[in-house]
Amino acid sequence: MARTLAQLKPGDIARVSDVTGDAALTQRILEMGILPGNDVQLVRVAPLGDPMEFAVLGYRISLRKSEAACVQCAEPGAA
Amino acid sequence: MTSSGRHNRADRHVVALIGNPNVGKSTLFTALTGTRQKVANFPGVTVEAKLGTTNFENTEFTVIDLPGTYSLAARSPDERVAIDALLGRLPQTPAPDGVILILDASSLDRNLYLGTQVLEYGLPTVIALTMVDVAKDRGISIDLEKLSAALGVSVVVVNAPSNLGVAELKATLHRQLHHPGKPLELPFPPGLRQAADDLYQDLCDLSVDLGYKPSRPEAMRLLVDTAGPMQQEVREAGGAAFVEKLEQLRNRAAQGRSLALQEAQARYGQISAWMREAKQTQASDARTRTDKVDAILTHKLWGTLVFVLVMGLMFQSIYSWSGPLMEGIEGGIGWLGEQVVSLLPQDAAMLRSLVGSGIFGGVGGVLVFLPQILILFLFIAVLEDLGYMSRAAFLMDRIMSRFGLSGRSFIPLLSSFACAIPGIMGTRVIEDRNTRLTTVFLAPFMSCSARLPVYTLMIGAFVPGQTVLGFLNLQGLVLFAMYWVGPAFAVPTALVLKRGILKSKVTPFLMEMPSYKMPRLKNVLRVLYERGSSFVKRAGTVILAVSIIVWALLWFPHSSQVSQPFENQRQAATEQYEAESNRLANGYKPGLAGADLAAQPDVEAALQDVAELQETRAQGQQEDQAAFGHDPQALAEAARLDEAAYVATLQELKRRHKQAFDAAMGLNEAQAKRDEVIADADHGESAALAEDSILGRVGHALAPAFRPLGWDWRIGMGAIASFPAREVIVGTLGTIFSLGSEVEAEDASLRDHLVAAKDEDGNPLFTLATALSVMVFFALCAQCAATLAVMRRETNSWKWPIASFLYMTTLAYVVAAATFWVARGLGG
Repeated sequence: MARTLAQLKPGDIARVSDVTGDAALTQRILEMGILPGNDVQLVRVAPLGDPMEFAVLGYRISLRKSEAACVQCAEPGAA
Repeated sequence: MTSSGRHNRADRHVVALIGNPNVGKSTLFTALTGTRQKVANFPGVTVEAKLGTTNFENTEFTVIDLPGTYSLAARSPDERVAIDALLGRLPQTPAPDGVILILDASSLDRNLYLGTQVLEYGLPTVIALTMVDVAKDRGISIDLEKLSAALGVSVVVVNAPSNLGVAELKATLHRQLHHPGKPLELPFPPGLRQAADDLYQDLCDLSVDLGYKPSRPEAMRLLVDTAGPMQQEVREAGGAAFVEKLEQLRNRAAQGRSLALQEAQARYGQISAWMREAKQTQASDARTRTDKVDAILTHKLWGTLVFVLVMGLMFQSIYSWSGPLMEGIEGGIGWLGEQVVSLLPQDAAMLRSLVGSGIFGGVGGVLVFLPQILILFLFIAVLEDLGYMSRAAFLMDRIMSRFGLSGRSFIPLLSSFACAIPGIMGTRVIEDRNTRLTTVFLAPFMSCSARLPVYTLMIGAFVPGQTVLGFLNLQGLVLFAMYWVGPAFAVPTALVLKRGILKSKVTPFLMEMPSYKMPRLKNVLRVLYERGSSFVKRAGTVILAVSIIVWALLWFPHSSQVSQPFENQRQAATEQYEAESNRLANGYKPGLAGADLAAQPDVEAALQDVAELQETRAQGQQEDQAAFGHDPQALAEAARLDEAAYVATLQELKRRHKQAFDAAMGLNEAQAKRDEVIADADHGESAALAEDSILGRVGHALAPAFRPLGWDWRIGMGAIASFPAREVIVGTLGTIFSLGSEVEAEDASLRDHLVAAKDEDGNPLFTLATALSVMVFFALCAQCAATLAVMRRETNSWKWPIASFLYMTTLAYVVAAATFWVARGLGG
């Protein structure tokens, strides 16, 4: 089932399968290391429900929910 | 011997310092160059680069500190600075012949993304590897030799705060600069590589029209970055035909896979290959320490509580605790001004006024902002070093994003409720250019403390102090409402700005959440010094100039014709005093001259006794106030007793030396009368000169324009004269209403004069409607030269302060007029 990073629960790890949406935003997300094949974990969500903090490539990054929704993902270990 | 004689050209080098944000770049720059630095600004760009110099043996290095960036793919002119600096295309900035690439060992993969882009340019490069201790804590170890071999450049471990590796970095750089570097070749998909090479050829053919010689990596950038600044440049230089060719190349290279994805995968693919060689990771609990802290600091309840406490403390310090410092600075500068003025010749009235009001007033007007600026930046520097700024933004982003802003806009806007100047300077923490500019534009809407005197004066004089709804004081309610006028108009302004001129398709939030670190004192002090001196040097000159210009507008033409009647009054008062003292002297001792009366032993003694007695009475009143101030009844009783004692002593004095005492009292009375007439004449002269000044004439000429606001020329002139700072209106109104410029907003006599003031038809000048219109105008106008100067400094353009002034003045005018007519319609 195709999901996006915005749908993860805190603690969930997912493997990125695609990044879609606005070209400039996609490029930024990719540059920060959120790209197909990499594992991303949702660490926590801000008290007001947005933004979300993720762990990727050994560092932490926060994305707005709308930005996280641009990143499609699957179970870790999937291709 | 000059330094240029000692070194030949080959011994001077220029090095660019480049890296991600939060990797210790500024600290390394300071470790390399010390205090030998200057700031370079570039047209159209709100970021700046710092230049400094350092020596190694006989070589002098000029180091250019570039803004921290995650990628060389520029999306705005601000992000373009790094690439332009690397290629030596910035005005007044030398082309670098080497690069120091700073990489954070604790997140090396992501840092190397920028690294691959920099190494593609083939400039001689040395890598400064920072945060090795943090990485070790997290179980990450880097094999330096393997990393160096893989990247083809030297790697030096650097810990700038303890100066570790700084000397080695310089030595390595010195060696490297004599060996030209080799551009890094990355395994891009063949289609992408081919398209980029083809585009490079086309770009070279276009170089005359472009105005610069393009480089090979730039062709890749143009190919991938469909919305980059280069797109616009080639459209202008090469026209539609070139853009069409570019689109064809993009389609050919894409083959269904986005070019940005192809590029990122090629770079990160290469990076993970390198990392498999050079990096080893073991499980560690270091990150969990930060996570444990975050579990509290980003917790729904505790995190919010800590946030409110930290913000409350910050606001309290800027708003109230800076007060004594600001008063101290104003008092000190004022005192110094008086000392300097007293050294000037008595008859040089213009020079004395220029020095006292124009120059020292202006200098005081600059320095008075330092406490608030330094306190805010103390908080910002510590919170940023600590890593809390990102958490604060994380907590607030949801709310701020509704207004098209980001979580990082919160602190600048909050501090603007104390003063917009530190607030605007604080917008540097916002990475996105458009969000930053929007925040800068909104900062003056927040109700700063300079508006308070205007509100105090108007509310005190014209809003009845009655209780409404059973428990609310109407005056307090109006003051509270005034605080929300600015923010209420800021919200629609923000939404219009972000959808209009400052529209960007997306304003990505994408914020790194660094690990918590202990703030370093040296770092904090450096930030305070930089921000403080930058404000004084850059904004200070503008503020001083405005102060002098407004002084001149209020001084000239300073016609002696205007002064003459007042001079006559003073003359008459002096003559009358002389006549009176002669009469008293003659009565005391026939033939005695008035001037000698006070020197008669008896009279002198009586004068002294009376003076002492009056001083005792004044002291007694003060003590009563201190002792019984809380109890009106006890205070009245104490005052009655003191007064009785005073009168009794006075009678006693009178009984003992009747003649000398009467002479002394008569003399005192005559003196007081003379002084009062002279003071009235002085204030009247100031008012008449102000009316006759250039500014006063402008006020008269613009009177029809002020009419919709319910103002006459006097209020209008006060508003214009308060362009340097809003609170100046209180003093200006004091001058115009012949009370002198030293009045305070709480001053009862100014209040009474305003209440009693009549317009040309003899009706009260001020009504509740007029007072509300004045307050609303000052809530929304941009009457603060210092804010506009800082805006120009921070946006590096006059465009923003001018736009801000025009927009806010128009808005203030329209809303104040509407307030006046509505309030008048309701009978105010």
